[in-house]
This record gives sequence, structure tokens and C-alpha cells, in this order.
Amino acid sequence: MPHIQLAEGLPGIRSLFVFRPETAATLCALADVLLHAPGTLTPGERELIATYVSSQNDCHYCQTTHGAIAAYHLGRNDALVADVKRDFEHAGVSEKLKALLNIAGKVQRGGKNVQPEDIERARREGATDVEIHDTVLIAAAFCMFNRYVDELATWAPPEIPGYRERAAHVAEHGYLGIPKAVLAHAGNKP
Amino acid sequence: MKPMFLPEVEANPQASPVTDLIRIAQSNGAEYPKIWHLFGYRPEATAHLGEFTQGIMRGEGPLSSGIRELIAAFTSYHNDCPF
Repeated sequence: MPHIQLAEGLPGIRSLFVFRPETAATLCALADVLLHAPGTLTPGERELIATYVSSQNDCHYCQTTHGAIAAYHLGRNDALVADVKRDFEHAGVSEKLKALLNIAGKVQRGGKNVQPEDIERARREGATDVEIHDTVLIAAAFCMFNRYVDELATWAPPEIPGYRERAAHVAEHGYLGIPKAVLAHAGNKP
Repeated sequence: MKPMFLPEVEANPQASPVTDLIRIAQSNGAEYPKIWHLFGYRPEATAHLGEFTQGIMRGEGPLSSGIRELIAAFTSYHNDCPF
């Protein structure tokens, strides 16, 4: 049960967006720039970074939703998403993405864990400064999202049905429409 | 000041209000917090962080701005982030 009174039937961060629409728009705008807007890392790679950090933070809602979005981008490849969460160093992703996931994992553990050798490894594998920068910002932002969702004990169903359709929609259209969509959904409730 | 991990972040500021601040500080030889470089590097992303911070810290709400800044300072202290 959530620690505060939230709209029923909306899972995870969506219930918080309805509770505080003032902050929903900027959070979704940030997510859109980081995960969906054009960039040199593909949306699938960026969603994998978000999913990995969320799984390290043990955030069920975020790792399930972003894992589904990542899988959609990667050609419905759920197995690859599971491999990255379990052991990205041996998953079927590029060496560059492994180096970036290594940095994201350090960011997840705390504020002073990334070392010069982590940055050097990413550079050696061809990562640009923008890609390293965005990796750190995605990881830091998801630590915020994960804590926001879990420390208010938001509700989320254990299984995936429904997540899949929403994941496809977000993968295709991005994050900017979410605040309006969840408010409309909440408004329709009796 | 200690260089950042990513030299390009310091070397390639984009047009943004904070970039003007950096130039003024540098031309005066003044020290300034290096988070400014982060805000000046990817303004299309960090503008939303600024807006979020403004909303959460200064927007309408039952907690006073002083209490909200105290919560932020308390959390930053426990994260060992002096700035």
C-alpha cells in the first residue's frame, strides 16, 4: 500500500504524476531527452542503461517498464534485457555499451565510485564525452526515479500484461505525452 | 581547480545563461562550482533539471522554501556532496 493517498489503478510513477502534475512535465521532458530524443546511443541502448540501474536498485516497476521498452527497441528481445540485468559483461551487447553499463553501475552504488580507469575504458571502446555524460545522467536520474517510486511504496502489479502495450507506445512516441495521458486516465475515474 | 573527468564538458560549453556566468567568473579569475559546466554542456537536458529544481524548491507547496532547502542540504551532506 502506498505511504500516501494516490490514485488507484495507476502503477508506479504514473500515480505520482497524477498526484503532482507540476513536477510530472519536467520529469517526463528529462526522460524524453535522455532516452528517446535522437542521439548517438540508440534508444534501445539508453533504455538498457535505465533498466540495468533500476534492476540494481531493485525497483520492480522501473525495471519492468523500461525493460519492456528496451526489449521493444531491440526487436522484442526480452532475453537480451534479462542477460544485461544478470551479467552485462557477458551479454550480447557491444564492448562500448558494456563500458557504459560499468560506469552506470558505479553511479548506482554512490556518488564517488567512478574512477579514471572506468572513463578510460569507455573512451577506449569508442564512447564520446556526450555518451559518457549522458550515461552518468541517465544512471543518476534513474536512481532518483527509482527512489521516488519505491520510497512512497507505489503500487505496481507483479506481472507484465498491460506494460507491453504501454511500452510499445512509449517506444514509438516518447515520454512527452505521458503527463497528459495519465491525467486524462485519472479524470475518467469515478 | 581539479579538472573534470570529461575535458569536453569544460571545453565545449553551449549557448546558455550559465555559460555566460562561467565566462564572467573565468574572466575575473574567480572560482566557481563546476556543476555549471554540466548545466552548460547539454542544456537541452539540464534545462529540465533546472526547471524541476525550481518547481520542487520554490513552487507552491505546504513546505517553506527554507525547510525544502534544509532537506536538500541534509541529503547532500549524507551523500558527501559539499556543493
